[in-house]
Amino acid sequence: MSLGLEQMTACFQGILPSMFFTCSKDGTPNAAFLSHVDYVDPTHVALSFQFFNKSRRNVAENPYAMIRVIDPDTNQGYMMRLKFERSETSGPIFDRMFLRIEAIASYVGLKGIFKLKAADIYQVESVDLVPEEPGRKERWSPKGRRHLDPVFTMKALQELSTRMTAANNLDELLESILSGIKEFFGFSHSMIAIAGEKPNTLITIASRGYPERGVGSEVQFGEGVIGVVAEAQQPIRISGLVRGMLYAAAARKRAFERGWRPQESVKLPGLENPSSQLGVPLVVRGELIGVLCIESETPYRFHEEDKNTIEMLGASLAIAIQNMQLKEASEEPAHKPAPAAAASAPMKKNGKVRREIAYYPREEVVMLDGDYLIRSLPARILWKLLQTHKREGRAEFTNRELRLDKSLGLPDFKDNLETRLLLLRRRLDEKAEDIRLVPVGRGRFALELGCAIDLVEK
Amino acid sequence: MLDQSLTEFLECGLAIHIGTRNEAMRPNGCRVTAVRVEEQGRHLVAYLPKAANADVFDDLRSNGQAAVSLTRPTDDRAVQVKGEFIAMRDADPSEESFVLGQWQSLLKELDLIGLAPLTSTSTWLMWPCVAVTIRVTAVFSQTPGPEAGAVLA
Repeated sequence: MSLGLEQMTACFQGILPSMFFTCSKDGTPNAAFLSHVDYVDPTHVALSFQFFNKSRRNVAENPYAMIRVIDPDTNQGYMMRLKFERSETSGPIFDRMFLRIEAIASYVGLKGIFKLKAADIYQVESVDLVPEEPGRKERWSPKGRRHLDPVFTMKALQELSTRMTAANNLDELLESILSGIKEFFGFSHSMIAIAGEKPNTLITIASRGYPERGVGSEVQFGEGVIGVVAEAQQPIRISGLVRGMLYAAAARKRAFERGWRPQESVKLPGLENPSSQLGVPLVVRGELIGVLCIESETPYRFHEEDKNTIEMLGASLAIAIQNMQLKEASEEPAHKPAPAAAASAPMKKNGKVRREIAYYPREEVVMLDGDYLIRSLPARILWKLLQTHKREGRAEFTNRELRLDKSLGLPDFKDNLETRLLLLRRRLDEKAEDIRLVPVGRGRFALELGCAIDLVEK
Repeated sequence: MLDQSLTEFLECGLAIHIGTRNEAMRPNGCRVTAVRVEEQGRHLVAYLPKAANADVFDDLRSNGQAAVSLTRPTDDRAVQVKGEFIAMRDADPSEESFVLGQWQSLLKELDLIGLAPLTSTSTWLMWPCVAVTIRVTAVFSQTPGPEAGAVLA
C-alpha cells in the first residue's frame, strides 16, 4: 500500500461524499455515492450497507471495488482499491456506524427504513492520490479564521474540572460545565439532558447559546443525537450532518412515494443547521445520568483523535453530577443562606396582574395562562406548593417535607428531587417572571409570587 | 434515451463521476467536470479532467464500458447513465466556458449544504478536459432509497 490509512482518518468523518465503483460479473461498471466509509484498521475499511442496490449485487458477484474519498482538511482526493471480505451485523464497527445512521434517520422520521443493514468490511489493497484532486499543504480554516486546532485537550479537561469543583450546588455545577465548554473547548452551543421520570426519556435541564433555553423539553430514547446516545450509552460524533440528513431525506421522499408513511419527525433541538454534533453519554456504574450534546456550525469539528478525551469528559461530568445530586439529597435543611439566594434580584410585585395556573391531574401537566408550563413530578410539586401557599399562606418549604409527602409519589430510592426542583425553578425562570422558587438555605426554598394566582384543577 | 427533462437535469451542474473497468474486471473511476447531451439524447459527452487517472482512459479504449453517475447535492436526486465508449478528443477551448459553467454551478450547490471546505479549493485540476463520447444504453434512477435502480430510459 503506497499510503497509510492511519493518516487518513479525516477522510472517514463523512463530511465530504465518497464514491464507490464496482463492476458486475458480465463487465458492466457501476458508480454510486456512499453513505459512509469507516476506518477499521490499517488494512481495512467498512462501508455502510443500507439498501440492496446495484453496488451490493456487483460485489456479491465480483469482490473488487474502488472508492474515492476526500480529506476535508486539505481537499486531497484518495483512491483505494478494495476487495470485499465479509459483512458484519454486530460488533463495535457495526455499532459505531449504526448509531450515526440512526441519529440522522430519527431526525427525518426514517427510523426503521433508513437503517444500517450491515457493515461491509473490505481489505484495502492500495491507496493512491487522485491526480485531478491535489490538496493544499495547509489545513482548511473557515472563512480565513485560524486553523481548527484540536480542542479536546487534557489542559481544557483540567481547567473544566477545576471550575466544576468550585460549584456549590447542581445549578452552579451545570452552569460551570456549559460555560467551561464554551471557555475551554470553544463551543458556544451545548445542552445537558438528564434522565427523565418516565422510563426511556430525557429532559433538558440546562442549555447555553440558544435563543430558547428549552428547559423541560423531553427527548425519547432513540430520537435524535441525544436520544440515540442515551439508548446506546455510546458517544456519537457527526461531522457531515447536513449532508447526511439530505441523503436520508432523499431516501424518505422515495419511500413516501411508494406509500410508506413515516413517523413524525423530531424537531432538531438547538441550532437550526448544525454542521457538527457531538453526543456524550453521562454514565456512572452503568447508570445513565444524562447526555451532553454539543453543536457547532463548523463542519468536521469533532475528530477521531478526540475520542478518548471525549469519553473521559463524559465520565467526569457524570460523576460530578451524580455526586452533587447525592450531596444535595443528603443535606439537612438549614437556614444558612444559599449562594443563589444572595444573587437573586427582588421581584416586582403587582397584585393587579392575575394569572391562571391549571393542573391536569390525569396528564400531570401544569398550564400557565393556557400555555404548557411543565409536566410529571415538577408539575405535581408546583401544584402542591401553590395549593399549600393558598391554603396556609406559607411561602417557605423544605426539600425534606416534599420528600416525605406521599401524595407527590416520589420513588423510595434515588428520587432525584433536587434535580426536579432545579428543573422546575429554571422552567419558571424561563416562562413566568413573576412566579419563582428561590433557594433560601441548604435544603430550603421560598415560593415568590409577583402576581395574583387563580388555581384551577381540570 | 435522454429526453428534454433529463437533459436539463444532467446539464445543470451536478456532482459527476465515471466508472469503468479493466480487462481483469477491476473497477476504476474518476471525477467528471461536466456533461453535454447530444444526438437527440442518444449520446452523452463526458468532460474528464485531462489530469485524471490514466487507467480510466485505458479502460475506455480497451473495452468501452462506462457508467456515469450524476447527483444533485442539495436533494441527492441522482441518475446513472450506462453506455459504451465511442470516441475521445481533447476538449476545445471554445467549450471551456460551458464546462466550467457547470462546475461553478455545482460549487454553488455544495456551498448551500455547508461543504465550504470543498468549494473553497482552487487546487483541483478540472480543466483542460478530454471529451469522451458515450452511446447511452440505459438510464437508471440512483436517488437513495428503496427505488434506487429503477429504469428511467
